[in-house]
Amino acid sequence: MTIAVALTNFVLGVVYTCYGLMTIVDLKRGWRTRGFSHFGAAWVAMAFTCGPHHLEHGLHTLTAGVPGGPMDLVAVLVGMPAGVIWFLLRVEALTGGRGDRFISDTPRWLVAMPYLAGAYVVFAVAAGVTLLVDGSHFTPRMTPNVLLLGMYSLVGYYLLRTQIENRPEAGGWSVSGLSLAVVFPTCGLMHVYYSVYAATGRYDVDPVGLTIDWLAVPAAIYFVWVVRALYLGTLIDWNERPRAAAETAVVTV
Amino acid sequence: MRWAHTGDGRVGIDRGIRVDSTAVRVAAVFRLAVAITAAAVGSFLPHVSGERAVVFFIVDLVWVPWAAVVLFASEQPGARVARLGGPIGDLLVIGLSQGLLAQAAVPNFDAAILPAYLVVVVFSVYTLERPAAVGIGVAAIAVPTVAQRLLPVTDRLGAAVLAPYAVAVVLLLLLIERTTRMQTRAASQYALLSSKADTILAHVADAILVTNAEGRILQSNPAVARIVGCADEPLVGRSCEELLGLHSGERRLDCSAGCGLLRSDLGDDAGLGVEVWRIGSNTERQPLLASASRVESDGGDVEVVHSIRDITRLKEAEEAKTLFLATASHELKTPLTVIHGFADTLVRYDDLDEEVRSAALNAIRARATELSRIVDRLLLSSRIEAGRLQLTCQELEIESLITSRVASFAAATGREVVASLEDLPTVVSNEDALITVVDHLIDNALKYSPGGEPVEVGAVCDAEWVQVEIADHGIGMDSEQAAHCFEKFWQAESSDVRRFGGTGIGLYIVQSLVEAMGGTASVSSERGAGSRFTLRLPRPRVPEPAEELTPTGDGEATSIREFMRQIGVPERRVR
Repeated sequence: MTIAVALTNFVLGVVYTCYGLMTIVDLKRGWRTRGFSHFGAAWVAMAFTCGPHHLEHGLHTLTAGVPGGPMDLVAVLVGMPAGVIWFLLRVEALTGGRGDRFISDTPRWLVAMPYLAGAYVVFAVAAGVTLLVDGSHFTPRMTPNVLLLGMYSLVGYYLLRTQIENRPEAGGWSVSGLSLAVVFPTCGLMHVYYSVYAATGRYDVDPVGLTIDWLAVPAAIYFVWVVRALYLGTLIDWNERPRAAAETAVVTV
Repeated sequence: MRWAHTGDGRVGIDRGIRVDSTAVRVAAVFRLAVAITAAAVGSFLPHVSGERAVVFFIVDLVWVPWAAVVLFASEQPGARVARLGGPIGDLLVIGLSQGLLAQAAVPNFDAAILPAYLVVVVFSVYTLERPAAVGIGVAAIAVPTVAQRLLPVTDRLGAAVLAPYAVAVVLLLLLIERTTRMQTRAASQYALLSSKADTILAHVADAILVTNAEGRILQSNPAVARIVGCADEPLVGRSCEELLGLHSGERRLDCSAGCGLLRSDLGDDAGLGVEVWRIGSNTERQPLLASASRVESDGGDVEVVHSIRDITRLKEAEEAKTLFLATASHELKTPLTVIHGFADTLVRYDDLDEEVRSAALNAIRARATELSRIVDRLLLSSRIEAGRLQLTCQELEIESLITSRVASFAAATGREVVASLEDLPTVVSNEDALITVVDHLIDNALKYSPGGEPVEVGAVCDAEWVQVEIADHGIGMDSEQAAHCFEKFWQAESSDVRRFGGTGIGLYIVQSLVEAMGGTASVSSERGAGSRFTLRLPRPRVPEPAEELTPTGDGEATSIREFMRQIGVPERRVR
């Protein structure tokens, strides 16, 4: 269990850190022509706190003799496929590929997804409560993980809302969008389980991990602020589009 | 009062909202930074329990999220959550911390936390209207007074602490409110004047240069780069004399002992508008109307404000009008001479036979028609110049129209005019204007092909345009002549006036009419090989289909743009 938790966290840590590096490459490439991107910077900040969190957690689990929690492993395993798919799509795009796949209509397995997600949340909450009733002690050391659940769920909500709004016009679903919509809430759940295990005494909150998590909080808030400002139009980022070619002169008829 | 940008780009003053939205945002960022720092510090403290743990849970799980909500809300100008919610939340958190930590026996904590209330008051005055700021001030006195009630009587703050604190709050409110009001008023007036001055300077057509007494440039407006032709070069610090190189008459203006435009030897108008010139970017003389005046700067130094107007086009227009008068007189004189001669003959000789008499009358009629055509063109040119040209355009069968004009010219002149037109779609155009344009271009092509070479008329089309081409194999033009041929009163060579006739306004009329119909006119030509005039006329518009949502991310490969797309960030056009 411990090795499984450590390895899965290593995979996610490497994926998110690589993704952060990839976004820096994008940011640098576009800086000259499009200017600085707050969205890109915020996303880099998130990737560089999420990635190190998983790397540090994996390393700590492996070296400090901390026994891995089963619910932690479940949370990582649920989120990992979506995270890896998104990452591979971005690698494909970076190398000149499409960077997305399209799912026509709504296949049965996708219809089942909300129900499975609901069942998973119920199971996760029940498992968490079961763990906590056996004896827990919450301290302020665990709160950044709770805050991250809120922020990541909010980002996941924005993503899911966009997928649902786009579906009627597109006639289907974007794999890239769906994978992102899955990544964020599961990431939040991972952080909550980290807190739960810390509260029950299974995990020890070490200063390095705590520092990374406290850096993740402003990074996530910065990201949500940027997204909200872009929605409101108070911030213009790489979502600006040049004017269309000069419109044809209109003659009085 | 604050500056507000209206939708159409104008700047106005919003007198209804006194609050500075930037200050609200700065306060929100500051609050969030303090909250996160306090929360993070608390989580690193060892052995936190009891009331202390409760305080940090409040900071972590209430204040931090609330500060984030206030920051998000601050993006909407005037949002009450951002303006009022922030300070109220701060007061509650500080009040709870004061009561709980004092109970946890942190020494002198209830007195030490009083400055935190003052910070909230300071931010409130900057971010709230006066009544709300006063309310926060009152709360900043009431909350610590109530919070210390949670403590045993012996541990409570005495009047010796609370009274000076309350006075400090009131004084702070009054002082900052007054300072803020004065600053706001001054800033508004400064912004108004500054914005006005900037707008005027940015949009004025004349180049404005401000130099110091030594002639070094301190300030310039965008028109300087346009007139002088130095778009990418920084101007500040450069020598005005070197940049402009002004000449008066044949003498270069000497600015070594002060601005040359201010010297008295330039006549009575010196400094008020002197005709000067410089060598332009095309190495030709660029005539300018320049003036200069001395002003005193803030520090008491003397500065010189130069105003320079490019009068090249004015001069060219003057020359062109002079040439036009000569040309038009010549054009009018020729048929008038013929008319006068034949009329004189008819009056003087009663015994002319019928054949000669008929020939004379026909000649008079032909010349009168020619005269009428010249006058019509002059009148049309005047209407175009006065902006009184209004064309009503409709869907028009262009193929039959051009075919009939080609046939008419071929029959009238006996020259070869070849039309290659097949299945042309309709265009949006004005029939009379289009006939004038086509007639003039075919007439021109025939006129400037003195060797009798054939004239070709062809057309192609795409989804939006029909492109008509009228080509000859005559004398043609070089690139310089082709670049200017659509200008008013222009002819390739002055000798052309005598050789080919014409007033030099035909192509100007052609271009004006085509542009008024929503099209374009252009030319490609080679000296000795002939000219090809191209008209692009718009086809009727069909409604555009609704923009399709791209189903996969093949628009842009960047992960930033892809994430934006997936999270639903709306695309916005560049303003």
